[in-house]
Formats: sequence, C-alpha cells, structure tokens
Amino acid sequence: MKKILNEPSAYVDDMLAGLCAAYPEHYRLASPRVLARTGGARQGKVGIVTGGGSGHLPVFLGYVGQGLLDACAVGNVFAGPRVADCIGAIEAANGGAGVLTLYGNYGGDRMNFEMAQEQLESDRLAIASVRVADDVASASPAERDKRRGVAGMVLAFKAAGACAAAGHDLGNVTRVARKAAQACRSIGVALTPCTIPESGQASFEIADAEIEFGMGIHGEPGLWRGPLKSADALADEMLDLLLPELPLSSGDRVAVLVNSLGATPHEELFIVYRRVAQVLAARGVRPAMPLVGRYATSMEMTGLSLTLMPLDDELHTLLSAPADCPFWKV
Amino acid sequence: MNTAQLHDAFLRWATAMEQAAPELNALDGELGDGDLGVTLSQCAHNVRIALPQAPDTVPGLLRTAAQACADASGSSFGTLLASGLLSAAKWLEGGRAVDHNALPLLLMHVIDKLSARGGASLGDKTMLDALHAIAQAIERAPPQAALAAVARDAAEQALKDFHDRPCRAGRARMFAAKSAHRNDPGMVAIWRMTQSLVPPRDPAPPRAPSPAPTNQAA
Repeated sequence: MKKILNEPSAYVDDMLAGLCAAYPEHYRLASPRVLARTGGARQGKVGIVTGGGSGHLPVFLGYVGQGLLDACAVGNVFAGPRVADCIGAIEAANGGAGVLTLYGNYGGDRMNFEMAQEQLESDRLAIASVRVADDVASASPAERDKRRGVAGMVLAFKAAGACAAAGHDLGNVTRVARKAAQACRSIGVALTPCTIPESGQASFEIADAEIEFGMGIHGEPGLWRGPLKSADALADEMLDLLLPELPLSSGDRVAVLVNSLGATPHEELFIVYRRVAQVLAARGVRPAMPLVGRYATSMEMTGLSLTLMPLDDELHTLLSAPADCPFWKV
Repeated sequence: MNTAQLHDAFLRWATAMEQAAPELNALDGELGDGDLGVTLSQCAHNVRIALPQAPDTVPGLLRTAAQACADASGSSFGTLLASGLLSAAKWLEGGRAVDHNALPLLLMHVIDKLSARGGASLGDKTMLDALHAIAQAIERAPPQAALAAVARDAAEQALKDFHDRPCRAGRARMFAAKSAHRNDPGMVAIWRMTQSLVPPRDPAPPRAPSPAPTNQAA
C-alpha cells in the first residue's frame, strides 16, 4: 500500500480532524463521526442529513454547508455509518421543522438510517427519507430501486438543500429531493483501482490496457471490461445508455456533471465534456450550469462518471440558488 | 441456556471471530468490499469490553452484545448481527425460555426480522440460509442432542448445499456468475460462529473432505 497516512485505522478520524481544522467556519464535529454545520441547526428550517462511507470526498460530508446539507454521518472507508452516528446526524440537523435523510442506495446506509429513523421518529420530530439510485449500470430500468447511488446524489443534495434554505416544509423538501433523485441518471467508467487503507487491498484488479465500463464507486462490476477507447467513443457510449431513459427533447435544459473518480485530471474531463456538449447540441438540448471536476470520488481511482438531469423550471431554479461549502460554491 | 453459559459462549465467539478475520476478509474481498473480518473483529472487541457490565439475564446479555456490535461498525453484516441479537433479546423478553423446542422458533423469528431489515430472502445464498438450516436441524434433532454441534454441522452442510448456487442478494448479487462455485462469506461467518459455540469438551467431528467449507476459488 502506498498512501499518505499515519495509521490505517486512523485514516477517517485524521481526515475529519484536518477538514474541520481547515474550514472551521463551515464544519464542526458534533461527535467523532458526525460532521455538522458550524453554528448548529438552523431553527425553523428543515434539516437535511446524509451519510455513508468515507473515501468519496466531496461526497458525502463535503456538501455540508449553506444551501446544501446540515449534517453527515461518517462511516469508515467504503463502510456505512453506524446507527448511533445516523441518530447523531439527525439530531444535529434538527431545527424543529423536521429532518430529511437523503443518501445513496446502499444496504448498510439504508439499514442504519432506517433504524435511526425508527428510534427517533416521534410527534416532536418528523423524519422523511429519500434514497438516490442513479447508476444505470447497476440494474435494469425495471429494477430501478436496486440501482446504486453515485454522483447524481450531488444534484439531489443541491436541489433539496436549496428548497430547505428557501423555507419550504418537510413535505415539499422531500418532494423536491425525490423529484431530483428520480430525474438523474449516471454511468461511470474506471481505469485503475484505489486502495482501501484499512485492508491495504485494491478495490479491484484490472489489466493495464483495460477499462471497466459501468463500474461502481466501490469497484462494483460494470457492464463490460475491455480495451480503452477514445474519449469520444466513451462519451457516445455513456450517452447511448443515459439518453434513452431521459425525457429530453429539443429545447429542453439538462444539468450535466462530468465527474472525476479521483485521479482523472480536469483536462480529460473537459475532453469528455466537449463531446457530451456536441451530442446534446445536435439534439437541441441545452446544458445548464455544467459541472466538471471532482464531485464524487473513489479516492485515487482513475476514471470518470457522467450524470444528466433534465431540468424543469423548479429544478433549474433550485440548482441555481446560492450554496456554499468548501468544495462547491454557487 | 443460562447467563453463565451464554457469557462463556460470547467469549468463545469473540475469540473465534478474531481468529477468522483474515479468512473472512479474503472471502469477502472476492465478492464484496473485503471488510467482513474487520467488521466482526470490531464487533468481537466491543462485545468483550461490554460483557462485564451486561445485565445478568439472557435477554440482557443479548441486548448488550447487540449494542456493542451496532457501536462497532456500520457495515451491513455488523448492522444485521446487531439487529439479529436485538430481535432475539426482544423475543426472549416476552418470557420465553431458551430450550430445544423454542430455539427453532427463535431462529425463524430472527430470520424474519433480518429479511425485513436487509431485504434478502431464503434461497438468496446469504446468512439467512445458514440460520434456516440450523433451525431445521435443531427442530429435527432428538431431545438429548448437543445442540451447538447440531448447529455447527447444519451450518457446514448449508455451505455445501449452497456452494454452487449464485448469490442473489447484497453486493454479491452483482457477481452472480462469480459467486457460484464459492462460499458466501456471511454463511462462512455463521459456520465459524457455530463452531465456537460448541463447548470445548464436545470435540468437533472429523472434517468433511469435500467440498471444503472454506473458500473454493474458481
């Protein structure tokens, strides 16, 4: 293992300490594995909570911030957060107007948030839940509820966060989060793996000249493995999978996120974005506020993902609303 | 089963989980994220620390162990282990005894709870299938049978019975072809747990030669 760390077992806690030391105006630790906004819950505002394994910065915890999330339950690298931390995050986000838990569709995350919700829900605390399942490679359209949550989560965080910041109630924030989660579709491609600090093992094995198309952010298997293709060919194949599932016609707007899985540089992301923009333009579809960069990573994995989310006026307004965290400012 | 026996069983279980960690990590690394051994080691560590403060009742011990596992890890298996122990504690808090007749019912209750929590069904090649095989074997066992050994043998037989089937739940379902012809890591964990429950004076029978219950990498 060749990673910059102290003890593998301290990887997450050392990272959290550094994050809070770097951005004390944004982040505080409500407990060792609960990251919350500095200043505490905003009274009268719907709280938005997420959680998941570490190793994906800025997902999940990085998006705690103004117009985004209020708290995050933090698990070990690629492991779900503990029930106690899900409870702690919900409590840290509770400003008296209810709390929405908004997270990726993974078994451990789901179980722990469900158990936390069962323990906390009462007449005095309403809790709603939305899971993001945007990875088209992980199940067929007929089994959409089995799909994994990947970079589309970022757009759902943004839409729900803006809705809550505008003062809407829990029902409305939940409706918007669900709408955003259901609207987005993503697909990824991986070139090289990352190493999990606690085990020292690579997340998957792959030959030098090979790529895995459709691979998940923890190294879950994709749709095919084969020789590397050109950026344009990869972009075309990604769009061929995403576009048939999306109601996009000429004149429509779409949010576009070209996301590095960690090690792929901005240059290559823009090479892919170039082709995506060409194909969308040929269909008369207009990209709105394109995002190109590291938004949902898998530590040092090489590869990228493409996320599309058709925008109506409501989603466009919410994505364009002010937001501020150290990793993303609108 | 009384509290002293359960206390001792938890200590043997903790030692077994720590010893099995490398094997379980390796098995899990082929189909999942390779942290099953780490998860169970953390659960074992927490259970060992929590036991001295546990209430002197069977449900109290089970609740304490459940909380210790929940505090140890948010990984799926740790969460399910905590859920299973908690559901067993709640079932016994209804005043039911832990005896031969009750154990299959208790196990089926736990299986129902875990299925609802985790989303897997019987036949999916998960730890639920190992628990189901144990429940059935205990139900069939004669009154004087050593139940820990019955459970151990049933878990081992379940591994053989499911060895060639694909996994249909959890992360391993995405490796359907690869998951056939190898043991499910969660089922191996249950088998290792049942081995530890057999008191030392009840020696294990000779191991079945084939297929070996540990990893059968294709």
